[in-house]
Amino acid sequence: MNIGLSHFLFVSGMLFAIGFFGVLLRRNVLVIFMCLELMLTASILGLVSFSRYNATEGEFLWSGNVFVLFIIAIAASEVAVGLAIMVALWRRRQSVDVANHAELKN
Amino acid sequence: MSVPELLITILLSPLAAAGLIWLFGRKNHNLAAGLSVLAAGVSMVCGLILLYSVWDGTVVEGMRVEWLSLGALQISLGFLLNPVSALMLGVVTFVGFWIHVFSLGYMQGDAGKGRFFGGLSIFMFSMLGIVLADNLFMIFIFWELVGFSSYMLIGHYLTEEAAAASKKAFIVNRVGDFGLLLGIIYTYWNFGTTDFGALEQAIGGHPGAVSTVVGLLLFCGVLGKSAQMPLHVWLPDAMAGPTPISALIHAATMVAAGVFLLARLAFVFTPEALEVIAWVGTITAVCAAIWAFAQRDIKKILAYSTLSQLGYMVAAFGFGTLYALDHGSSAGHTAAAFGVGAAMFHLTTHAFFKALMFLGSGSVIHACHHEQDIFKMGGLLKKMPITGITFGIGVLAIAGVPLLSGFYSKDAILYLARETNTIAFYLLTFTALLTATYMGRLFFIAFWGKAKSEHAEHAHESPMTMWLPLVVLAVLSIIGGYTVGGPFTIYPSSILGVLGDSVPELHGSDHTLFIIISLVAATIGLLGAYLFYGAGATEDRLEQRMRPLWALSKSRFYFDEIYGWYVARIQDRVADFIDFMDAFLIGGVAVRGSAGITGLFGLLARSFHTGNAGSYVWWFFIGLLTIWGFASGFLTNLF
Amino acid sequence: MSSLAILSFLDGLANVLRSVDDIPLINQGILMLSVLLPLCVAVSLATSGTLSDRVVRGWACFGFLFPALGALWLWATYQATVSDGGYTFELISETGLEAFGIYFALGLNGISMPLFLMAGIVGLAAGFYAIQSNVERKRLYLILLLIMQTGLMGLFASVDVLFYYLFHEFALIPTFVMIAIWGGQGRKRVALEMTIYLTFGAMLTLVGLIALYVTSGASSFNMISLRDALIETEASKTIFGFLLIGFGVLVSLFPFHSWAPSGYAKAPASAAMLHAGVLKKFGLYGLIQIALPVLPTGFETWAPVLLWLALGNVIVIGFVTMGQRDLKMMLGNASVMHMGYAFLGIYAYSTMGVGGAVLMMVAHGLSIAVLFLLADAISIRTGTTEFSELGGLGKTAPVLMGFFVAATMASIGLPGFGNFWGELSIFVALYQGEAPWAVIPVLAGIVISAVYGLRAVAKVFFGESKLEYTGGDLTAKEKLPAVILLFALLALGFWPRGISDNLNAAVEAGLPQSGITHAANNAHPTE
Repeated sequence: MNIGLSHFLFVSGMLFAIGFFGVLLRRNVLVIFMCLELMLTASILGLVSFSRYNATEGEFLWSGNVFVLFIIAIAASEVAVGLAIMVALWRRRQSVDVANHAELKN
Repeated sequence: MSVPELLITILLSPLAAAGLIWLFGRKNHNLAAGLSVLAAGVSMVCGLILLYSVWDGTVVEGMRVEWLSLGALQISLGFLLNPVSALMLGVVTFVGFWIHVFSLGYMQGDAGKGRFFGGLSIFMFSMLGIVLADNLFMIFIFWELVGFSSYMLIGHYLTEEAAAASKKAFIVNRVGDFGLLLGIIYTYWNFGTTDFGALEQAIGGHPGAVSTVVGLLLFCGVLGKSAQMPLHVWLPDAMAGPTPISALIHAATMVAAGVFLLARLAFVFTPEALEVIAWVGTITAVCAAIWAFAQRDIKKILAYSTLSQLGYMVAAFGFGTLYALDHGSSAGHTAAAFGVGAAMFHLTTHAFFKALMFLGSGSVIHACHHEQDIFKMGGLLKKMPITGITFGIGVLAIAGVPLLSGFYSKDAILYLARETNTIAFYLLTFTALLTATYMGRLFFIAFWGKAKSEHAEHAHESPMTMWLPLVVLAVLSIIGGYTVGGPFTIYPSSILGVLGDSVPELHGSDHTLFIIISLVAATIGLLGAYLFYGAGATEDRLEQRMRPLWALSKSRFYFDEIYGWYVARIQDRVADFIDFMDAFLIGGVAVRGSAGITGLFGLLARSFHTGNAGSYVWWFFIGLLTIWGFASGFLTNLF
Repeated sequence: MSSLAILSFLDGLANVLRSVDDIPLINQGILMLSVLLPLCVAVSLATSGTLSDRVVRGWACFGFLFPALGALWLWATYQATVSDGGYTFELISETGLEAFGIYFALGLNGISMPLFLMAGIVGLAAGFYAIQSNVERKRLYLILLLIMQTGLMGLFASVDVLFYYLFHEFALIPTFVMIAIWGGQGRKRVALEMTIYLTFGAMLTLVGLIALYVTSGASSFNMISLRDALIETEASKTIFGFLLIGFGVLVSLFPFHSWAPSGYAKAPASAAMLHAGVLKKFGLYGLIQIALPVLPTGFETWAPVLLWLALGNVIVIGFVTMGQRDLKMMLGNASVMHMGYAFLGIYAYSTMGVGGAVLMMVAHGLSIAVLFLLADAISIRTGTTEFSELGGLGKTAPVLMGFFVAATMASIGLPGFGNFWGELSIFVALYQGEAPWAVIPVLAGIVISAVYGLRAVAKVFFGESKLEYTGGDLTAKEKLPAVILLFALLALGFWPRGISDNLNAAVEAGLPQSGITHAANNAHPTE
């Protein structure tokens, strides 16, 4: 079987969907974060595969890969900040369940 | 001094005194009293000089100063001096001065003496303003000021009774002023001016130029100020004020201002209006005379007597002017002269004898330590001879005994009534009879017989500041009626135009007839009072023997009760109801309601904030879809 | 003093210097200072750390005294030099917003001059009363009053419409704070209700004013240039509607009056004096100065509405006032009722009517200020303002009684005080208008006002006292502001020409003569 672009995109899409629904439906904040990362990973995969399959003969297409590097850096910093907030939330409520952190209600 | 200078002095000296009293005299009561009396004296002296030597009787209009000019409205203040106002000026300043002197003695020891004299001076200023005014706006200004002085002075003793009485006086006057102002505004817009001289030229001689309604509206002011029915209710209550006030304001001058206004505006009234005016006066005269019989308070009796006499004046004006209109001008009189003349004549004589009697009652009240019930007095003639005799002269004058002033003026009125309307003539003559009777009742019970209470026992004559005015006024009550036809006259020639020519002269059989009528009425009245009530009685015999008649008199035809019922039941309830509606509908439903609705929107918006991060992500997703829909044209094509 | 004070002063002075081309003219400088000085004093009081009570009082006294004296000086100069009621003492400076047509422009004309003077005098009296009173946190109180004073003076002196609005907000917001902190029972809700309601009204006027500017195509928000741009189109009707309702809310026109009685009853004395006395006139002033000259067709459309609403003020609120049982509520409702007269003067649309309305505004401002001052004095001495609990104060406090009676008589239109001239002009003008029958209910109003005014006097001062009263008669310090106000009232009553001549000319110039069939100025009575 010839593995083409569409296969990679399919995987990327599945990963994205898993991550997306995980953010919407999971209650544990850590899991939500992981799903966020999953979505990012899915987008990374998609970018790399585009850059691989849209390269013409003899010439590499660097743009997708470079973009991936950006995304990784940003993801890392976002995770750092997010985890710090999460730790602060844990200190307040001793819980990482999203439902317990509804003080902004109304 | 020239005429304008004298007029300015007369007008402004009481105002200056009032100002000085307000600044310095509130604690120093004697200073206040002195200033006030001095100002009154200055006015009187200047007035006398003016009338007797400086002024020659020609009409003087002067010193017109524009006070306010806004667009088409021009209000100016100026003087108009003609025989009518000159006569009024003389009466006001002269009687006013003597009442000031009387107050020196009467208000001795009163805590508010400074305030009292300040009020007296303001009153004099306002009253003189009315007398000298040359246009309706100016009269209205001083009319209101006079009402204010009356309010202040009636309320002098600061009791509940004084509060109610002063409030009633002011409000009833205001009701009259409502009509007056309407009439003034209408006059201003129809004729472009409210100046008396200009109005007379525009209207005079053609009463059809102005409608009856205007005349009646202007008469409303007279209803209020001169206490004619149905706005008469404030005058008896006004007796809550100190007696000199009752004498000055509610007998001699302020209440006469209405009659004065009629005299000034004589040319405005159509025959229909005059009929109404005359009948209002007649009915007031009769009813007030009936009501005087059930009164026990000496001041109240005099108050109802004043009401009755004011009715006479108003009726005189009405009938006299009607008479002159019917008979046309004759012997050089203008059409309105007889009404004016008779009314002003009676105003003058009434001022003398009523002020005399009020001051006399003040003397009596003072001596009996503020006892005002006549059935607790008695035998005062022996104890207070000067007061008694002068009071007796006043009674004779008001009863219309010939040769005294009251006879002459009352005769003129009865004659005019007879010539115009026989029923009114009978009513007025009957009233004259009643007048003699109730005044006799007052005199015999209070002054003759034996003293019926401690206070009356120990009464003694008042000090000179109090009996001197009595004597002066008594003399005038006797000789004040002699004008053109009499043996001599105290009036200067400048005024005789009003008092002499404008009062109908009775000749021959009419002359004798009316002497007889007056004599008979007076005699029957006085004698009847003596026989029926007996001298020095302790109880009211009318009350004992003819209860129904007495009850009728005491009811005063329920005017006060009706007004009171209206205020308490209707006016106050309407006010409360409207207040409730305002608070409920506008304040509650509209304002708080809209605030509530806004709050509901707020609640709706708040409900979106669940605080749950997951739901926020859902919203994010939905928003994303919507934006994608618009961006791709999917949603916009749908709509 | 703090350095900030000095800096603010210098800044003000510099503004003066910058605004005119050559030598700074004294009168314009006085005008500028009269407007801005209270604000500077307020700022310096706010930022100056600890100060002794005497210094605070003295400095605040200066802050109130200068605008009043300045206003008097300007009035005297105006009377002496101007006879056509036009604008003088003009002072225009850049604000950086010229692209929108917004300049900082001050000036006075025949209509704003008397109101400016009144604002100064009432502010002076309110300030004195506040300085000698025993409120807590007096310094904050005085600061807020001073800010209000700038707003009041500035509004009348302002020739630029948007600065008019700005100064209005300057005057309004401190009221909110003052009621919320120093008010009586239930003050927070009342303060909120009043401020939101008034801001809503101000918002409507802002819409109207901006629409006016845009539609007229004038080059700036300057009132003088706006006046020349008569708007005859359909838009005139909508714009006038906005302005009428908006200004009406500010002046408590009939259905929009609910904020007034409770607001004034709960407000501390000086705030009530300034608000009821001066703030309430802003809307009327706006209508007369801005709306009437520019929007004649709009006026004509809305005239019947104005008539009925104003009659509602007089009759309906008249009855409401008669039913009041609390002194301050009664005074609040009475002031609403009197605004009905002023609106009717505007309805009459003649020089007489509008001029009478302005006269009435000036006199009413003075008289209601005295009444609120005295009501506060009464409540300090007796601890209550309910009629059922009051009585017999006349014996213990005769001077207070005398002043109160004088002020009551003034407000019900007794000649000798300024209110009479205003009311009389309005009555006479109303008869000549499109609805002469309206004079009858309006005149009934003079009986209604006598009823509630005298009832109040009788209940408070006559009879016997039902409670223990502390304190005696008015102290000299309390008397001073009352005397100032009463003297001004008497002066206006005795010599209305001090104001009316220029007023007459200014109003005459302002009312457009474009052939409207509504009551025209030139229908003079026949001679």
